[in-house]
Amino acid sequence: MRETAYALERIRFAYSGSPVPFQLELDLLRISAGDMLALVGPNGAGKTTLLLLLALLARPSQGRLEFFGEDPWAGDEKAVRARREAVLVTHHPYLFKGTIFDNIAFGLKVRRIPEAEWPPRIKEALSLVELPGLERKPASGLSAGQAQRVALARALALRPRVLLLDEPTANIEAGLALRIEAIVHEICRKAETTVVFSTHNFSQASRLGDEILYLSDGRRVPFSHENCFSGTAETDGRQSWIEPRPGIRIIFEGARTGHVTCVINPEKIRLFAAGDPAAGDGPNIFAGRVTRLEMTEADLALVRVSGGLTFRVTVPLMEIEAQGVSLSRPVLVRFGPEAVEIIGSEPELRENTHD
Amino acid sequence: MIVHDLLLAIGISLKTSGLAALIASLLAIPAALYLAGTDFRGKRVVLLINQTWMAAPTVVIGLLFYSLLGRSGPLGRFGLLYTQTAMTIGQVFLILPLIIGFSYTALRQVDRRARLTALTLGASRRQAGWVVLREARFALLVAVLAGFARAVSEVGIAMMLGGNIRNATRNITTAIALETAKGEFSNGVALGAILLVITLGINALVQAGLRSKE
Repeated sequence: MRETAYALERIRFAYSGSPVPFQLELDLLRISAGDMLALVGPNGAGKTTLLLLLALLARPSQGRLEFFGEDPWAGDEKAVRARREAVLVTHHPYLFKGTIFDNIAFGLKVRRIPEAEWPPRIKEALSLVELPGLERKPASGLSAGQAQRVALARALALRPRVLLLDEPTANIEAGLALRIEAIVHEICRKAETTVVFSTHNFSQASRLGDEILYLSDGRRVPFSHENCFSGTAETDGRQSWIEPRPGIRIIFEGARTGHVTCVINPEKIRLFAAGDPAAGDGPNIFAGRVTRLEMTEADLALVRVSGGLTFRVTVPLMEIEAQGVSLSRPVLVRFGPEAVEIIGSEPELRENTHD
Repeated sequence: MIVHDLLLAIGISLKTSGLAALIASLLAIPAALYLAGTDFRGKRVVLLINQTWMAAPTVVIGLLFYSLLGRSGPLGRFGLLYTQTAMTIGQVFLILPLIIGFSYTALRQVDRRARLTALTLGASRRQAGWVVLREARFALLVAVLAGFARAVSEVGIAMMLGGNIRNATRNITTAIALETAKGEFSNGVALGAILLVITLGINALVQAGLRSKE
């Protein structure tokens, strides 16, 4: 049986003096050593707060947090030792004044790693993030993407037992983001590093995570907030549907009754220009307007379509151009009944209106 | 004023004010670090008092320490009045709020992520504090140099606590006051120019030293 990296029980955490009331509440969370856990949720869900707790940079106000079977807060020295095992790379990383070498060497220096080991480690870490030979370059003046990669290299050079990444590919261009994902994945597997990363991107979470933890308003929720709908299921024996809004049906396979919640993977939804005959007819075609359009990674765009219901759709950039999709344009979204995943009965859940 | 006296006055100015700047910095920078990194009840009041203290006239501080260090004062038994030590003590209290204020502003401007980054990279709280100081080093240096400039150019404390004793506590500013009182205005102006050149030289040296380390 694998070692437990983190065991959290009845954790409560609130920021003191914060004007916005927020509390993270986690009743139980276990993360096995060597696992890769994805934290998914909208802004303000508590992903970064949880990462701060896991990085031992903030102490829970209530509950128990064990780090590799020990209480990391039992004494100052112990806290520092534990913190040296878990390194957090923040969403907007801070680089110290000085060179890139100085930045990466900082963690090695405080760990008292012999200076002779610094250059090869720093070189290796920079090569991993595809910034070879930049050791002597000043850290100021790097692009956001480069800064994020340097911050990742700074963490990798320390070879921590736990790597905590807050939206690690957010500022990185598409192709490189995939390579960074591959590096993180490889490190997790080869060095048995425990990785916890946050993302807004459901597909990235599915691709990388051994497990996915969905968060909303500081609490664990059993589903993704992307394309999540609920309603009372009805069936005619052949197919079933829910009506998240009166007169708007989402049809799914199989017979169900009672209150159900379903999610639709954004990658399984197709997008068409309004009036495009290719959209065809059939179940689950919804009209709306593009209310958000953003590039994510791997030449994909995330499109939000708002009509009777709001959908998030992941579309290849080429298709965006081919369909002439732009903000406020009327479009159609379509998905098959098989794309609708029923995730359980949640009487209290309502249609997600988060963004 | 003979050259020997002039050199001695310059030496006394540099020694007393340099020491005052050093001692005040050692007290003020940790205090500013604490103020910048901690929220506590009454912090605004502390900052307000500090700002008010910055405006304290040198003669008021001189008078205060005169009453403390004078023979009949509570610290009279140490016999510090009319010594360079008394001048340094007075100057420390003169420039302490200035260095605290400037350092506080400098440290508040350091990105809050600097400390967090240092901690997550494995620094202890003390090491993280050093990182914050290092990130603000240029602005902190300006604070220290401003403190030194204020100390070296003041005359009230040096006159009241030093007594302007030739070859003992006479520094450049009290020498200027004396020359002016004697009607030797040209000497006074020349001494003033020397003071400015010395301050310029120190500023240039320190800044060049820092640049070479960058």
